[in-house]
Amino acid sequence: MKIAVVGKGGSGKTSVSGVLARSLARGGHSVVGLDCDTNPNLGLSLGVGDLETERLLSLRDQIDEGEQEHAHTWDDILEAYGTDSPDGVRLTVVNRIDNPEPD
Amino acid sequence: MIRIAFAGKGGAGKSSISGSFARLLARREQPVLAVDSDPLPGMAYSLGIPIDDRPTPDDVVVEGPEGGVRWVLRPGLDAAGFIDTYATPGPDNVQYLQFGNTWGHVSTLQRGQHAWSQVVKEMDPTAWNVVGDLPGGSRQAMFGWAKYADVVAIVVEPTAKSIHVARQLRNISNATWAPAHVVVVANRVDDPTDVARISDALERPVIAAVPNDPLVTDADKLAVSPLDHRPGPFVDAVEQLVAVVESNYDLDTQERTDGTS
Repeated sequence: MKIAVVGKGGSGKTSVSGVLARSLARGGHSVVGLDCDTNPNLGLSLGVGDLETERLLSLRDQIDEGEQEHAHTWDDILEAYGTDSPDGVRLTVVNRIDNPEPD
Repeated sequence: MIRIAFAGKGGAGKSSISGSFARLLARREQPVLAVDSDPLPGMAYSLGIPIDDRPTPDDVVVEGPEGGVRWVLRPGLDAAGFIDTYATPGPDNVQYLQFGNTWGHVSTLQRGQHAWSQVVKEMDPTAWNVVGDLPGGSRQAMFGWAKYADVVAIVVEPTAKSIHVARQLRNISNATWAPAHVVVVANRVDDPTDVARISDALERPVIAAVPNDPLVTDADKLAVSPLDHRPGPFVDAVEQLVAVVESNYDLDTQERTDGTS
């Protein structure tokens, strides 16, 4: 199954998704946590910590800089650009907007 | 005249603070234009203006000349006329403009941005204080919606996620159109440790510490402005914030660096 959690900012999307993902994983499901927020915080709620999210984002930047190969399948993306979080949830992060657009 | 925009993570308290700020500034006999560029009209609640989803007509802008700005105000409609026609009067004489939702659909948001850019560039800089509410996160903030502001105030709760987003938002200082000042407003703090957590993580001046006030949650539940509910620590803190901004960040037009006036 595929579940998307949506709602107003601050209403608890990230906390609910993190706990949902880990609860499903504890119940024996294989779970991918996909952080589609341009200010990604799902790692914090899954319990992988700030630095690991930074590492995933820096891998993504390396693609743009030509230092890292594109992954061509879902499995390859999760392998190369994902990380294991507690209870076995595989986390991957889409993107982040953290620099101003040049004028 | 003050030109301030509030940014921060979703739910950090931007709308509550910006709407209350706008009204408290207006109570000091100041002309205030409250500008909401969030597609969800949170600022209207905190101003105490009934939510109105009636869109501003499409025809306020027309296609601009080739090679120039894509959308421009239609001939005969200038900045003052736009404000006169499309701003909604609110309590304490605040005038409210909502841009994020102006044309309803995401693909036409650009028209709203261009209309607003032109209004703010061409309006009489001595006519209005501008108090803006940006949507949560860094998307709009990093894409130039806050160009009008001399001061961008990042609203931060003392939580890991809120601080995380605020750290990204600090990068607005690196923009070519960066505001003269990027400051931090600590929100929902329980004690000085919370304030220290925020100032240590962000290395920016914390110009106000707004306490965690259950009256604000009560006001939210009742869908009334915090100012129209019972006064308390939140309103006191925003009042102090207005005083701080008035004395330190009330820039005159010569001091503006971004060319909007």
